[in-house]
Amino acid sequence: MKQHRNFLVWLGLLFLALLAIPTQTSQAADNTFKVGMEAGYPPFNWTQTDSSNGAVQIQGSSSYAGGYDVQMAKKVAQSLGKKLVVVKTSWDGLAPALTSGKIDAIIAGMSPTPERRRTIDFSDTYYKSQLVIIVRKNGKYADATKLSDFKGAKLTGQLNTYHYTALNQIKGVIKEPAMKDFPSMRVALESGTIDGYVSEKPEGISVTRANPNVKMLEFKGNNGFHTNPADTDLAIGLRKNDPNKAKINAALAKITPQERDQIMTKAVEQQPQSKSSGNWVIALLKQYGGMLASGTGITLLISMVGTIVGFIIGLLVGIVRTIPRSGSKARRGLLRVVDWLLSVYIEVFRGTPMIVQAAVVYYGAAQAFGWNMNRLAAALVIVSVNTGAYLAEIMRGGIIAVDAGQFEAAHALGMTHLQTMNKIILPQAIRNSLPAVTNEFVINIKDTSVLSVISVSELFFQGSTIAGQNFQFFHTYLIISAIYLILTFTITRILRAIEKHMAGPQNYNLMANQDQVSVPKNNPEV
Amino acid sequence: MENEKIITVAHLEKTFGDHQVLKDINLEVNRGEVLSIIGASGSGKSTLLRCINLLEQPTSGDIKFHDQSILTSDFDMTDYRAKVGMVFQSFNLFNNLNVLQNCVIGQTTVLKRDPEAAKKVALEQLDKVGMSPYVNAKPAQLSGGQKQRVGIARAVSMNPEVLLFDEPTSALDPEMVDDVLDSMRALAHTGLTMILVTHEMAFARDISDHVVFMDQGVIAEEGSAQEIFTNPQKERTQTFLKRYLQGGMR
Repeated sequence: MKQHRNFLVWLGLLFLALLAIPTQTSQAADNTFKVGMEAGYPPFNWTQTDSSNGAVQIQGSSSYAGGYDVQMAKKVAQSLGKKLVVVKTSWDGLAPALTSGKIDAIIAGMSPTPERRRTIDFSDTYYKSQLVIIVRKNGKYADATKLSDFKGAKLTGQLNTYHYTALNQIKGVIKEPAMKDFPSMRVALESGTIDGYVSEKPEGISVTRANPNVKMLEFKGNNGFHTNPADTDLAIGLRKNDPNKAKINAALAKITPQERDQIMTKAVEQQPQSKSSGNWVIALLKQYGGMLASGTGITLLISMVGTIVGFIIGLLVGIVRTIPRSGSKARRGLLRVVDWLLSVYIEVFRGTPMIVQAAVVYYGAAQAFGWNMNRLAAALVIVSVNTGAYLAEIMRGGIIAVDAGQFEAAHALGMTHLQTMNKIILPQAIRNSLPAVTNEFVINIKDTSVLSVISVSELFFQGSTIAGQNFQFFHTYLIISAIYLILTFTITRILRAIEKHMAGPQNYNLMANQDQVSVPKNNPEV
Repeated sequence: MENEKIITVAHLEKTFGDHQVLKDINLEVNRGEVLSIIGASGSGKSTLLRCINLLEQPTSGDIKFHDQSILTSDFDMTDYRAKVGMVFQSFNLFNNLNVLQNCVIGQTTVLKRDPEAAKKVALEQLDKVGMSPYVNAKPAQLSGGQKQRVGIARAVSMNPEVLLFDEPTSALDPEMVDDVLDSMRALAHTGLTMILVTHEMAFARDISDHVVFMDQGVIAEEGSAQEIFTNPQKERTQTFLKRYLQGGMR
């Protein structure tokens, strides 16, 4: 099925591997069967707010996962005699989560491609799929019956999937750039930028049920795509040499093809529908208000803690990097080494995307050292350290920008470097750099969205989940944008007020008539 | 007491890169004395002053405070700087602090004075320079002359043994100069040892016990104010003073 090469994630892991750290997997010998899935790919898996239709609670969340994959996972867990735990993980994060031991299996509509088989193992097939093309119902290609009808059509498919490469089988097609995920393609189709996209039957059934304006085209016999079973089959991803593989295969074998079809039909019927009654904003907020609120909270928490801790890191680094190079040789040498190390820190964290840092820290640490970090904790660490790298340079600039006369006056009074920094320079440097800190805060609010790679349920992640369920992409993302805008606008105002407060009052009171110390000598009675 | 040497400069040299700014400077400053250093711009007078409180590190030679060299590595620089105050041409008031805090901070952080006591000293000194009404003002809200008077109060609040003035009126508008000079004159009358780099020749003549004329990094001539201003021996001194005195002394 979907064949992302989660390039960035693996790049990060490769980096760690180059450090020659022995690879080990941490595997809690507990009684749970942890299954990773996106919970956003109906009808295979989706997120819902209650436990109806046999949905299973998502680990560390108040939401539930439902769908074909969940039902399969339940059966497998039962046969293993373990309790099923669903771990919501982004598509890019599934393989690293498996190899690093954060999950025990991937049941997420994944195909056992030879490429994937190099890093992970697969069970037998648990679903067999076929390729379809989704088009607009009132569009030019709504009545196509064979691939050659798509001559001149603008088609696309998901990035790094065989769906996209299958387009090569259509002569004369205009191959649009591949897209990141299904929601993007659905939006593109509705907006008319593409004429259709390649998908698989279950997704097609889902989307046509949810959106009456689109149509799924199936092709009979040789009129359709030629596909490879390794692509159309879906299997459960397992760690290599998983001792439970035989048991899992045995469990799958017990589920008959009829039963599978039944489960799939049910899943398609049960997938969450948007309740479109009355005002769409109110309806959307009513149905998903809780998810949006928790996403907003997480985004705010991460960006706030990240900015504050990053500010402290930046301040400390800035202070250390502006220590004057004087004193003994040993002291100078030590300073040079520390300065070099700090430069490396700044260059590395400024020079790599935060999404890579997140993957390296979260999955890398688990794979290399067996550290199983809490997702949120990992997110806080990454954003803080990343922000620190940027703010370190801003603070250094702020310190350097303070007039040399301020240092001289403080030194001339006999203040040490530390006292000078503490009492005179830093208050000025911090005030001068506040606009840049505000900027960083605003950037953090928006950039926490990349943390979806480690499945932190911040606002964007929640938004994608909602859009994946209700198929109201435009509406959902519009609301998400409004929330982001309100957040950044409010934060900007608050920090501006702090800036003003630090500047102090614009006026001062003359103390002429208050006796401060010396009373004028000619009227001693006062 | 009359001839107690507070600062002794011996064979002082200072080079910036290839440029030698000070050449073999020898100087003695006695307690209670007002020493003026005059000379053309670039003659090295400010550098000499900055060497005395170690804002510049001398290249060679020695500077003694009382009988102790200030250039040895174990010398207590903090204590020394607290005892040798400085007033800057560009004021250098702490921009983040108000007038009162500017005069308190050195006392509390360096001298470890109790904040209330420090405040009292600061207010006394601010009153003497006529700046006590402005205790709540920030430096940015003051005029140049007001800033410099605060600068003086800040330095004097530390109860220094010696006070250095680095062209204290050069950055001021003419009408503000007198207020500052008045404050300095009042200080000189208290018997405080002062070393003054200035272009205010009339002031230097009236106030100084001892005048040094510097030219191209060396002390060209020195003597009492009377000797230098009314009867200069060297041609260089004469030329310099002539140029300055043409417009009449203020």
